Amino acid sequence: MSAHIKILRQVLSKYSSPMTLNYPSGVNPDKKYSQIPEGLRGFIERDKEKCIGCRACYMVCSGRATKYFDVGDKRTIQVFHFRCTYCAHCEEGCPEEAIKMTKNFELTVTDRNDPKAYVNTELDMLTCKNCGKVFTPVKLEKRAFERLSDKINPRVKDVVIADFKKGEGYCMDCRRSRGVMMDAHTKKHVWLEVV
Amino acid sequence: MKYSADAGLVDYVRQELVPEGLDFNALRENRIAVKINAADAVTIADRFVNKYKARLIHETAVDLEGSGFEMVYIYDFSMLKERLVVVLEAKIPKENPSIASIANITWSASWAEREIHDLLGINPIGTPDPRKQFLPYEWPNATESGTAPAQPEKGEKGVKDMWIPLGIAPKDSYATLIPIGPYHPGVIEGQTVYVKVEGETVVSADIKTGYHHRGIQKLIERRGYHKGVFAAERVCGICSPHHGLTYVTACENLYEAEIPDRALYIRSLLLELNRIHSHLLWIGVVADVIGWKTGFHLTWGLRERVMDIIEAITGNRVNYGIWRIGGVSRDVSQELAEKALKTVVPLKAEMAALLPLVAAHSVVQSRLINVGPLSQAEAFDGGAVGPVARASNWKIDVRADNSPHAMYDPKKINWQVITDDHNDTFGRTLVRVKELLVSSDIVAQCLEYLVKNAGEVINEPKMIPVNSEGIGLNEAPRGELVHYVRASEYNNNLPQAYRIRTPSYRNNAVIPKMLVGANLADVPVVMGSTDQCLACTDRVEIINEKDGSVSSMTWDQLLAMSRRAKVIR
Amino acid sequence: MDPLFTIISIILILPISLVLGVLYSFLIRKLNARFQWRVGPIIRMYSDLSPVIGSTRIWQPLYDILKLMGKDTVIPGSAHKKLFVYSPYMSLIFSILAIFFIPFPGMPLLSEIPYSLIIASYLIIASIMFTILGPVASGSPWGAIGARREAELFLVAELGFVVSLFSVAIAKNSLSIWTLASNMESLPAILLTLVAGTTMFVAMLGKLHIKPFDMPEAECEIVAGPYTEYSGKLLGTYFLSKVFILYAMVSLFIAIFLPPFSSGFIWLPLYAVAAVLLIFLLAVVQVLNPRYLIRKALLWYLKIVVPLAILSLIVAFAFVLGWMVV
Ligand code: SF4
Ligand code: SF4
Repeated sequence: MSAHIKILRQVLSKYSSPMTLNYPSGVNPDKKYSQIPEGLRGFIERDKEKCIGCRACYMVCSGRATKYFDVGDKRTIQVFHFRCTYCAHCEEGCPEEAIKMTKNFELTVTDRNDPKAYVNTELDMLTCKNCGKVFTPVKLEKRAFERLSDKINPRVKDVVIADFKKGEGYCMDCRRSRGVMMDAHTKKHVWLEVV
Repeated sequence: MKYSADAGLVDYVRQELVPEGLDFNALRENRIAVKINAADAVTIADRFVNKYKARLIHETAVDLEGSGFEMVYIYDFSMLKERLVVVLEAKIPKENPSIASIANITWSASWAEREIHDLLGINPIGTPDPRKQFLPYEWPNATESGTAPAQPEKGEKGVKDMWIPLGIAPKDSYATLIPIGPYHPGVIEGQTVYVKVEGETVVSADIKTGYHHRGIQKLIERRGYHKGVFAAERVCGICSPHHGLTYVTACENLYEAEIPDRALYIRSLLLELNRIHSHLLWIGVVADVIGWKTGFHLTWGLRERVMDIIEAITGNRVNYGIWRIGGVSRDVSQELAEKALKTVVPLKAEMAALLPLVAAHSVVQSRLINVGPLSQAEAFDGGAVGPVARASNWKIDVRADNSPHAMYDPKKINWQVITDDHNDTFGRTLVRVKELLVSSDIVAQCLEYLVKNAGEVINEPKMIPVNSEGIGLNEAPRGELVHYVRASEYNNNLPQAYRIRTPSYRNNAVIPKMLVGANLADVPVVMGSTDQCLACTDRVEIINEKDGSVSSMTWDQLLAMSRRAKVIR
Repeated sequence: MDPLFTIISIILILPISLVLGVLYSFLIRKLNARFQWRVGPIIRMYSDLSPVIGSTRIWQPLYDILKLMGKDTVIPGSAHKKLFVYSPYMSLIFSILAIFFIPFPGMPLLSEIPYSLIIASYLIIASIMFTILGPVASGSPWGAIGARREAELFLVAELGFVVSLFSVAIAKNSLSIWTLASNMESLPAILLTLVAGTTMFVAMLGKLHIKPFDMPEAECEIVAGPYTEYSGKLLGTYFLSKVFILYAMVSLFIAIFLPPFSSGFIWLPLYAVAAVLLIFLLAVVQVLNPRYLIRKALLWYLKIVVPLAILSLIVAFAFVLGWMVV
């Protein structure tokens, strides 16, 4: 019986403040989603400006939620939220820090194809000047060059950059076939030395 | 922390334990793989279990594609030498595969052998319990590559017939069986418990889980080490971080791992928070099963606060997704740790005030005491793990004997293993209630460390050598959890084999024993007392008995079938 | 009294009892919820939601019943059709009839007739009998087990129920509820009220399936118990009759054990207070207890209720024989 009374006291202790939270205002009735902690891992959000279309997020995606499509001269990087496991692998893997996990989590849609369920980023692709093949996103090419150029040994830097300019706009195959025009080509004994 | 191995152990194992061994391979952390002849498996098992009192952790089989199957027996020797685990590996041919059963020596092998027969067709010769495990009993006998195990002859029952329930084919005695399940409101898991009752007293019982394989093991074998952790986490929603961590532990055993201390503390912190919420959940569920909605709501109310802490720390409520091979992906900032500490300490006080009351409630006691008895010897033979074993006064806790890659070092963290000698459902309740308090102590100590210290939380993993094996052992809330990983023979960043043995797998096997003698109304309580957690999955296939053709049903067909009932409007 | 007034009040009591019954169930639910750290049916809806779902959820128990009324009703093939279909309606009819024999402040209804106490208790029993009969006819094993538990519980609870009612009747020497309810002279029989009232309260726990005596409805053990095979209108009818039975039990309790509260109209406020207190007690008991095993419950009844019943009989006789002048 004494246990009964003690439990009654426990039971009454929260009589006026039930555990149930109001939705969506949470603990604080004036602010929406106040029950959501900082650092909640919700949907991913991709910064259109920063993303270069390198597909690293596709490679590391553990839920296979990220896909990419090369259609025409556009590359689309797409995340399908219904498959996303909110693991943040893509956030960690993105070289440009374009992906951020937001605190947004509401994913109630009546149709799987609702645009709300997808994050699409469209990027322009380069078309080869020679053969007309669509080969890589514009930004990726640019950014890769920027990143590399910091690391080129200053002794050969100018040569390499000049070479790069010569090859700009050609796809891999065509660039290879134009190798003879390059000064930093191995055959010309100018070694690319990456520090 | 660096995990090292005791160099002299291989000799010890070679001379003392397995003189029959063909090839000895020292794995990391005192785990030793021994290749043996398949014919020796039984004598070795007999020596291990009866002489050294070793415990069979798991028995499984690996399909080596062209060159046959390999039986893998994992034995725990931690009571002899620190962290010693012996892995016996026996090759058997692909044609007519069979192996002598060791279920007569330790009953805990029985489910594993039945499962191996179900899935790979390896015939356990001389097994006392040759029924199907995951497939229906009526399933056509020959599997893809194997033949049916021989039925034991009538009248000549094995030594272990105390475990064998009902003598089932269900056709024998349909009228006297009461099926509890497949989806019973008491224990909402995909399983059927057949109980044979006299009046309201259970005289015999059998448990039949559904076909639970969801293909996660295969998925991990396909995805590669880094992505596997997320698949492993999804084995179970409630103890998700335990699966993730056991995966990570197993993988870190594949190479010479060194994990930063701070990561270890974060791991322990989350594991114990998870244990708190899981045990609270269990107490709530049992309160609900015995009809006490208030107990359910009170404990789940407390649980909600634990979940909030977890959510603030990891960003997710259920599948935390912060385990990485080599550490954790997120640091716990000092402010956050302080804030969490401020929540945990009063929470512990509240739990310490409330939960003993629940255990002292007279009606609760009348529903739990002497319900589902299980003695220590039965627990050992049946292979019970976790709180079920500890409530039978058996001091078995992986965190103490063979700790996972988290901080459970008694020199750094003050904690103890809880046991109880009630041997019944009430004992299991007490064990869990006390463990809650121990866990909140560990949580508080981890948080204090995190407040005071700073540091790295992840070390880059190194290359995984070919042909190495890793065993992850962990004490999940429901008991010992085992992940076994074997790196590929080719250098391709994919495991060759991945095996998971969950604690419920073991505890479910002792349920029929515990049910004998119970009241019918107690059946859900006994089933609930092991805190079983199954994949809520089953599969249906329709087999035509005449021509043996197999078909499945579509959604529309099922709907049409369910609408055939007469409806008045 | 004037037959016209009786007819009018009989017509009036139907909505009144429905409303009160629904309010009582609401109150039990709300108190339970608050004791369990939940919100429960909301009394004043949040301003942003009120345009969508109305300004209050006090009538939630009624809405639940109305919802069921609009649903398909499935009749299992194995059921005995007639018994299965008519039992809920019979249960409802008997519970409504019982209400006519229990006074409400200002409305004696039919309780003035000499044997109204016997009639009322029989009608309540009849209503419960049909919650046993229907499930038995349903052909479901869970229904059968639930019905068996219900019958066992009912037999034991009945003992306390009848003895406590009749010990008051013996003491006051009348079998008319109205006489018992308005008999002010014997008001100070506090001892009798206490002993017999406690017996009745415990019996009520069994009859209304308040925990720890809700084994017939133990969903974890026997699915939905008696109601397993019921759905739609038939289930709604059962629930409706439960609402009426709740009202009937509470008002009967007040009429017999708290005498003048259900006689004159001026007692209405006190009647209300008594009803709320009673409901509060029921809710507290409901919250604090898990469910007994049926065997243990019967033992408990034998240990507690039988002595209490005997005690109340003794007190009643003592009262009659004038041993006790309180
Ligand atoms: S830049 Fe980042 S977001 Fe864009 S494709 Fe690469 S990894 Fe993905
Ligand atoms: S969070 Fe994980 S699952 Fe989701 S898109 Fe990123 S990598 Fe894929």
